[in-house]
Amino acid sequence: IAEHVGKAAANIAAGAVVCVESEIRGDVTIGPRTVVHPKARIIAEAGPIIIGEGNLIEEQALIINSYPENIMPDTEGVEPKTMTIGINNVFEVGCVSQALKIGDNNVIESKADLGKNVILTSGCIVGACCQVNTCEVIPENTVIYGSNCMRRVQTERPQPQTLQLDFLMKILPNYHHMKKTVKGTSTPVRN
Amino acid sequence: MASLLQPDRVLYLVHGEKKIRSSLSTLYFCRYCSELRSLECVSHEVDSHYCPSCLENMPSAEAKLKKNRCANCFDCPCCMHTLSTRATNIPAPLPDDPSKTAMKKAYYLACGFCRWTSRDVGMADKSVASGGWQEPDNPHTQRINKLIEYYQQLAQREKLERDRKKLARRRPYMPLAFSQHTIHVVEKYGLGTRLQRQRPGAPITSLAGLSLKEGEDQKEINIEPAQALDEVEPLPEDYYTRPINLPEVTSLRQRLLQPDFQPAGASQLHPKHKHLLIKRSLRCRKCEHNLSKPEFNPTSINISSECQVLLTLTNPVESITHVTLVGCEEGDPEDINSTAKVMVPTKELVLAGKDAAADYDELAEPQDFQDDPDVVAFRKSNKIGFFIKVVPQREEDGDVTVSFKIRHDFRNLAAPIRPSEEDDAPTEAIWLTHHVELSLGPLVA
Repeated sequence: IAEHVGKAAANIAAGAVVCVESEIRGDVTIGPRTVVHPKARIIAEAGPIIIGEGNLIEEQALIINSYPENIMPDTEGVEPKTMTIGINNVFEVGCVSQALKIGDNNVIESKADLGKNVILTSGCIVGACCQVNTCEVIPENTVIYGSNCMRRVQTERPQPQTLQLDFLMKILPNYHHMKKTVKGTSTPVRN
Repeated sequence: MASLLQPDRVLYLVHGEKKIRSSLSTLYFCRYCSELRSLECVSHEVDSHYCPSCLENMPSAEAKLKKNRCANCFDCPCCMHTLSTRATNIPAPLPDDPSKTAMKKAYYLACGFCRWTSRDVGMADKSVASGGWQEPDNPHTQRINKLIEYYQQLAQREKLERDRKKLARRRPYMPLAFSQHTIHVVEKYGLGTRLQRQRPGAPITSLAGLSLKEGEDQKEINIEPAQALDEVEPLPEDYYTRPINLPEVTSLRQRLLQPDFQPAGASQLHPKHKHLLIKRSLRCRKCEHNLSKPEFNPTSINISSECQVLLTLTNPVESITHVTLVGCEEGDPEDINSTAKVMVPTKELVLAGKDAAADYDELAEPQDFQDDPDVVAFRKSNKIGFFIKVVPQREEDGDVTVSFKIRHDFRNLAAPIRPSEEDDAPTEAIWLTHHVELSLGPLVA
């Protein structure tokens, strides 16, 4: 039975940098070397969210595992579906992602909108302001761009943002408080 | 201002070759004719060429040589955005010691919008940031150039023949180029002369100006005629059965932007140099003076109540302007669009001059104009708000449109100073009348 109110503590691995001003609700696991900016929102309503390593989730990004539209929250017999997000993904400012399965090395640009039924494989780039709400698996290395969501295939996948991640992991703690990681105390998380 | 908000609400009538009604933000004012001009009543001339991304100004001769393309900037062949140069560090063997490797910078072109890179089409990374990128050569260039030369010569020869016939009857010092027939002949093969360019509405071809100079040796150019082939290459056998790889197929637009090759596959799309844009100058057709910055009265609309409309007039010049509004009379030939009757204030409205310093001078006494409160709603430095009464004439659903005439005085401060016998005669004021149409929106039941 999916609970409306999530568990108290989110599972933040050691090495992840998650700002206190971000909103994390529900059963969320965050891998090491992932950076979550302030005002990012990760909401696990209808099931848990598992986020891998090396991801970059910028401000006002919304990753939400929501109920499908025709199902009420209190319906019995609804299996909680897990949302999996791989490694080295970038969720730029203001994007919304409801896709249940995201592979590695993807870039979701600013204000992009991914629907529930999309599955991103690896190396995909969803351009700024592009809404992808089809029911399909996006092949590898696809670039979706333009107001008409044109597509093309690129020959190489986008590089992981290692430099950016390293920089942020050094700088963000200087200006923000961080949520506590799993290693260490098990104090409940302040939202 | 009108161009940002509601461009077509207020229209001014321009008496040109055609009667054009358009909003003030698209009109110009000729100081020498003292008339409004629209874009159709002026001749557009190419002033200079510039690249839209690096903003480099190029003289026209150089632009023609480079086929109106920028030397430094490239367009993405996929989405037509501007390409940017990116650098990576690659390990490369040192020239002295092949066994050791050092980090060297390699540059490639990338598009920020669709993420196309020059590596996608197999272009190798260059070691210099700019200038290393070449467009592939058109295999037909030689043949095309030869054809152009041949036809240029042909046109020149025909032109001379025609002029010789005409000249036999005219005086000998008549310049060769000035005959109507010449223009047509020259236009036959697409060569343009200076004369052709000045004719309004005539198209400018790309070969304009490429004519042979007078007196140049006219060597005989022979071209081989194009040969028609009987056999064509057969289609490959799997043409109908091979599955289509959709991302690899180029769109029509991508294909036609590269007229030399028109590649069908996306892996052959090479970047092209960026096209130059022009800055144009406008010249009044009647007086042949260059139109400089327009000088006009902007009018904005504020619909506050149903029957009474508040209009704002702003005075852009620094002297006092007197404005009179007159309704259109019955049977006015210019009054074709109005669907409502308008009652404009009968008294003359006086607008103070624009005084930039007045905004900051709080102690200045407000000028006393003795406004009638029924007519003037407010007055602020060089602005005035006044009421007009609108009575819609028809009950239909269309827009309510009123028209009236604005009559104001105008002093041309930029006119050349004429030497006069008296000392310091003040600049004469002339009275201008404009026909104005206001679109007030639909009728509310």
